[in-house]
Amino acid sequence: MSLKYGVLGLLKGEPLHGYEVKNRFEGMLGGTWDVNIGQIYTTLQRLERDGLVRPVGSRGDRGKQLYELSPDGEKALDRWLAQPDSGPQQLHEDIYVKLLLATRIANGDLKGMLARQKRAYLQRLRDLNRLEEGARRDGRIDLARLVRGALLHTEADLKWMDELSSERFGTEGTKTE
Amino acid sequence: MDGRTFFRTFRDGGDKNGMTELVRLTDVTKVYQGGITGALNGVSVAVEKGEFTAIMGPSGSGKSTMLNLVAGVDRPTSGSVVVGGTELGQLGETGLARFRRDHIGFVFQFFYLLPNLTALENVLIPAQLKGNPASGRARELMERLGIIDIASRYAARLSGGQQQRVAIARALINKPTLLLADEPTGALDTRSGEQVMELLSELHRDGQTILLVTHDAKLATRHAARVLSVIDGKIVDDARLESPELAASDVIRVRGEEASR
Ligand SMILES: Nc1ncnc2c1ncn2[C@@H]1O[C@H](COP(=O)(O)OP(=O)(O)OP(=O)(O)O)[C@@H](O)[C@H]1O
Ligand SMILES: [Mg+2]
Repeated sequence: MSLKYGVLGLLKGEPLHGYEVKNRFEGMLGGTWDVNIGQIYTTLQRLERDGLVRPVGSRGDRGKQLYELSPDGEKALDRWLAQPDSGPQQLHEDIYVKLLLATRIANGDLKGMLARQKRAYLQRLRDLNRLEEGARRDGRIDLARLVRGALLHTEADLKWMDELSSERFGTEGTKTE
Repeated sequence: MDGRTFFRTFRDGGDKNGMTELVRLTDVTKVYQGGITGALNGVSVAVEKGEFTAIMGPSGSGKSTMLNLVAGVDRPTSGSVVVGGTELGQLGETGLARFRRDHIGFVFQFFYLLPNLTALENVLIPAQLKGNPASGRARELMERLGIIDIASRYAARLSGGQQQRVAIARALINKPTLLLADEPTGALDTRSGEQVMELLSELHRDGQTILLVTHDAKLATRHAARVLSVIDGKIVDDARLESPELAASDVIRVRGEEASR
């Protein structure tokens, strides 16, 4: 998701200025996505250029300018909401690349690498569990649901480490030609 | 350490808040009759009093075997098992039975309640074996585990989650030194499973030492600060997890595609 639709979604409720958009966006995500105010202004300018938002009232200084959703912006938002996420799976972790390389390097310590990674995932599971508990305690059920998703993803990563640990590794099957 | 401190430490089995060893396995192997490879192949590990330890590993890796040896339900082929200072190998069958009755609470995946007895009667069985009239404690426990309302219902008529809570009360009736739980959530739906784990957590907060076998890494890491990984009858990792204060952004980053154009 790009910031674009986040901004459109927040403006759906009421007109906001840049700082309010930033604060609400970060609040909604419970600190799991930091944006700087510059990104917000750039996004708002592009959205205005594309006719998806428009300024409300007279153009004040940048920080005070209110924006609202245009009818086109509303349509774009609805379309985006109705669309399932598709496209390639995003894998952001170094471990995927480390594994590929380690299977090619003769003394790449694959078992050790898997064991250390597994332990890191266990610690992350514990951290996520505590984050989920905290979110529930604070009445942030929305955030707790997000954390739950992360827990399940990390559990899958852990299972993958377990599967790999039970395999024999040689250099077979690593041909790139 | 002066003589008095030593005496007190010895008598109480250690400082309440300090670490005191409760279980020690040394070079334990187990080969079942007819078994081609060992179920346990040289396991050495110690568990402190008050610890909540999870044991994880693939099916057939030896987790239940380990619990059974600690419980004195079975004997190792070689090596030693010491629980609460007692070398279990030194005990005869009667001694071992007494050890189990006085020191071990065991909870299983499939509860093993007697279906024709009521919940309360099931809870009381271990106390009766000990000759203890414990109906006061039984009611207290059942109150605490949220099953007092079903005390007089037959075990066969209870839901899985209720049966497991009855089984936990039964395991606790003789105030065991050590609570062993082998897949206690394995036969329960997510919700009841979580409730059972919450209960175990509460008991742990009150000082209960717990050894838990589970396949659920989410539940294990939520409640246990230590995770032993067992593969092919060996402990391949012993992870002591930390509980630092963390901001959400230290643990999760939601990131989108960078806005293009
Ligand atoms: N009573 C028995 N007689 C013979 N072999 C046994 C006995 N109990 C267990 N085994 C074998 O010992 C090995 C370890 O079994 P164990 O029950 O400890 O595994 P586990 O880790 O608890 O597995 P699961 O996750 O499936 O419960 C397995 O190969 C199993 O077949
Ligand atoms: Mg088992």
